[in-house]
Amino acid sequence: MTTQPTTTDMTGSETSSGQTSAERTVARGGLAAAPLLAVDDLVKHFEIRGGLMGISKLGAVRAVDGVSFTVTEGETLGLVGESGCGKTTLGKVILRLIPPTSGSVTFEGKPLFELNSRELKAARRDIQVVFQDPYASLNPRMSVGEIVGEGLYVHGMTNKREREAAVRDLLKRVGLNQQHIHRYPHEFSGGQRQRIGIARALALRPKFIVCDEPVSALDVSVQSQVLNLLSDLQDEFQLTYLFIAHNLAVVRHLSSRVGVMYLGKLAELAEADDLYENPRHPYTKALLSAIPIPDPTVRRERIVLKGDLPSPANPPSGCRFHTRCPMAQEICKVEEPPLRDIGGGHLSACHFAEDVTPLKERRAS
Amino acid sequence: MADRTYDDVTQVPVDDTEDIDRTEVRSYWQLARRRFVRHRLAVIGAITLAVLIVAAAVVPLVVENATGVSISKSFAPAEIVDDEGNLVLALLGYSRTGINMFTQLMAATATSLMIGFAAVLIIVFIGVVIGAVAGYAGGWVDNVLMRVVDIALSMPGLFIIIAFVAFWGASIWTIILAIGITGWTTAARLVRAEFLSLREADYVQAARALGASPRRIILRHMLPPALAPIIVAASLGVADSVVLEAALSFLGFGIGAEQASLGTLLNVAFEYLNREPYLVLFPSIVLILIVLAANFLGDGMRDALDPRQRVEQQ
Amino acid sequence: MTTVSRSVGPLLEIQGLKTHFFTQDGTVRAVDGVSFQIGHAKTLGVVGESGCGKSITSLSVMRLIERPGKIVEGSIKLNGEDLLEKSDEEMRDIRGDQVSMIFQEPMTSLNPVFTCGEQISEAVQQHTAASRREGMDRAVEMLSLVGIPDAKRRAREYPHQLSGGMRQRVMIAMALSTDPDLLIADEPTTALDVTIQAQILELMRDLREKNRMAIMLITHDLGVVAEMADEVVVMYAGKVVERGDVRTIFGNPHHPYTQGLLHSIPRLDERVDRLEVIKGTVPSPYNLPAGCLFKRRCPFRMPICDVAPPMRQIGEEHTSRCWLTPAGEPPEVGADPTPEEAEAAGEQLTVEPR
Repeated sequence: MTTQPTTTDMTGSETSSGQTSAERTVARGGLAAAPLLAVDDLVKHFEIRGGLMGISKLGAVRAVDGVSFTVTEGETLGLVGESGCGKTTLGKVILRLIPPTSGSVTFEGKPLFELNSRELKAARRDIQVVFQDPYASLNPRMSVGEIVGEGLYVHGMTNKREREAAVRDLLKRVGLNQQHIHRYPHEFSGGQRQRIGIARALALRPKFIVCDEPVSALDVSVQSQVLNLLSDLQDEFQLTYLFIAHNLAVVRHLSSRVGVMYLGKLAELAEADDLYENPRHPYTKALLSAIPIPDPTVRRERIVLKGDLPSPANPPSGCRFHTRCPMAQEICKVEEPPLRDIGGGHLSACHFAEDVTPLKERRAS
Repeated sequence: MADRTYDDVTQVPVDDTEDIDRTEVRSYWQLARRRFVRHRLAVIGAITLAVLIVAAAVVPLVVENATGVSISKSFAPAEIVDDEGNLVLALLGYSRTGINMFTQLMAATATSLMIGFAAVLIIVFIGVVIGAVAGYAGGWVDNVLMRVVDIALSMPGLFIIIAFVAFWGASIWTIILAIGITGWTTAARLVRAEFLSLREADYVQAARALGASPRRIILRHMLPPALAPIIVAASLGVADSVVLEAALSFLGFGIGAEQASLGTLLNVAFEYLNREPYLVLFPSIVLILIVLAANFLGDGMRDALDPRQRVEQQ
Repeated sequence: MTTVSRSVGPLLEIQGLKTHFFTQDGTVRAVDGVSFQIGHAKTLGVVGESGCGKSITSLSVMRLIERPGKIVEGSIKLNGEDLLEKSDEEMRDIRGDQVSMIFQEPMTSLNPVFTCGEQISEAVQQHTAASRREGMDRAVEMLSLVGIPDAKRRAREYPHQLSGGMRQRVMIAMALSTDPDLLIADEPTTALDVTIQAQILELMRDLREKNRMAIMLITHDLGVVAEMADEVVVMYAGKVVERGDVRTIFGNPHHPYTQGLLHSIPRLDERVDRLEVIKGTVPSPYNLPAGCLFKRRCPFRMPICDVAPPMRQIGEEHTSRCWLTPAGEPPEVGADPTPEEAEAAGEQLTVEPR
């Protein structure tokens, strides 16, 4: 049987032809000293209220519970985690769509949470968002032109002809037919709608875009189109991305660094290649091992975690992962491990980070 | 096979235009209209209501002395033009006291519809304002306003209206005001619920992220979708208000005979139920027509305005 | 009653299945001439994007197609008996007994007002002569079989008290409680997180061995297919475009669509600069191209593609609906029928080679 798969041939020729996009961005990011965005000990608790007037506190969902990281200009920071880990909430707090409980976010040296409404509006030109659901993120009663041009209008481009020209240019850049400017969202497919959402985010020429699961609602064949578009636009407009997703393969493809979240905290943060080849947190390792490989000839070590995700309203003591961790010891139940550098900028929040071994993989004949 | 990749075969030039959508552009409202037109009962309802409105508005105007008494005409048969050549449109003949029953019926329909629509206007106005404020602000504002709604709901509506009429007298405006300020609670709840969920909608968040002002977000992104259930509730509200007014007038708390409504006619007809039972028939039929038509219309609007009901492209 | 024909022929054999939807805007050929078989205790992966007809195919097997949909043609033979000729009553006995199905969203397929135990027990009682008590015992047994800890207590809980992964386990427990020959799993892990998906897939693999059960696994996730399936069917716009052994499909795909799908997914183990893409989008069911349904998006497009290609033999147990030669080359002029010839042959050509 001639089982040399075409896939390997292809990627062989691809990688030899040049650097990967992540390598480029790392190189570019390395030049800038100050981070573009700095998140410091960010906390977001959703209070559970009840009682007659809904005022008495019953508890709190600790959606984000003390997260710190920086994003360098030009890089893509991936943020992965399972549902309920707080990654989406984190994105919304950074965008100031929901107020934080405590902590700070600094963008180009400006403290985002201390801006007044005029300063905030100005800052919004630089920080934009692409949402997950291409059906919910576009107002069904507005035409494509109105949707993409809204930011321009809000920020003072009130001349209709000027705005339409700008929108047509944006549509072209995201690969949409300019003739579609007067059409309405319901006439487009999921992938096309996501392009409209990207055009809307691009309209104000932002520096930083939060991509919240931008491809997870799309069909497989369309996902790659949108991922390629995002990376082309990054090169064209020198964009910096915070790329939030649950699909580790998608995150790896686009990100230069990757953070792994578990129950509102960062479990691990490292250069993408380093994280995927040498995971230093048992949760990351389990997460990586759980992803099915689309190649029936490869068998990878499989760590099946026991049980479900604990409730973020009542997280476990000590290390939050200890209830499901195959490596858990006594200390994990009582002492919370800090996110520490275990060498080369590889951060891990595990007491036994040094003992985590890489995943074993073998190719069956 | 092994060394050939997916994209190194020279591509046959493909005519790019075959993927371009050549169907006409359809906006949300065009689609809604299309869905509405497909709803047969709703179209019938809309036509019925339109005919009633036009007839009620026009007939008393073109016929002189439309509601007047003319003893000489007592129990006269149906006629369109009287002996002197005047247009009288007495399609239903004349009553014992010589009243032109058709024009009287139309005048009463006009009063009833007027009360119905005006009351709904008040209901929608109060409901939208309170519901929008509660839903957009959330938090304690929402809590306070919703408790106000609870209190308003817990009060017996009919009793309050009767007290209102007893205090300010039974004019058409008192009735409209009374129905309006007792009926807004449902509308407020609808708008609030819609606003609460829209506040979290991705496209509203996106507008906020673009820096749109609260005013723009409310007017452009939240009110239009919230209006859909309101339009539906309003068309049903017209029917409710007309019936409520009829009930009031029937019980004798409504407007007097000088500006008779369908309820007043029923009240009068009821006194002659033994001798002239057919008098009850015509106001009842019109009342039923209004209620059915408004309900069908409401159903049709619900289907038309629901974005989940997609009309596929050809 | 099912043991009689066990050893003879495939477990499930679908021949020329056509399920169409008659909407106000026209006919949607959701499933348009689909044929494949599943052997006893084998797992068949059905892959495709949304709207390709994979779910409608599975619902057709269950005879759960509702108006405006209708199965217009074809046969679905389970253990040699045509399900399309069964009465509704007979079908009710077959569903849940010989064929069970699990869905993507377990919450909507479980009844919120009954406990998990009651629902499984109900299914058992319907298909066997079991009493209520025996049914409950079987429910607890099944719940512990699918790895639910403290099964006795969980059997008394309602679906909303369980997490997504637990609910999917309950669904599987219910589907397996009657020991079916065929389990149809429609995107069973799509709504779940990867670590929970890993648990469920392991459970399914485990139960497949224990119960000698065949699985028809419908998914868009090629990773899940590579891991679970013995054979793969790739669907596109209502038709099967490629079919073969899992290693052949992943290692040596023939149809340009299959190749495109495999190359366009980002992979954990291989880093590429740019992803390959399949250009364009899935055609609207109201506006399908004439000839090959994939031609507008196909990088290999040739003049002959204006004629609908039949399923053609590529290798042993490997067929593909494409005019390219088995080696993947454009057909030589004269080697294949000209468009006119093919058109004349028409129906005959679209018959699947046996």
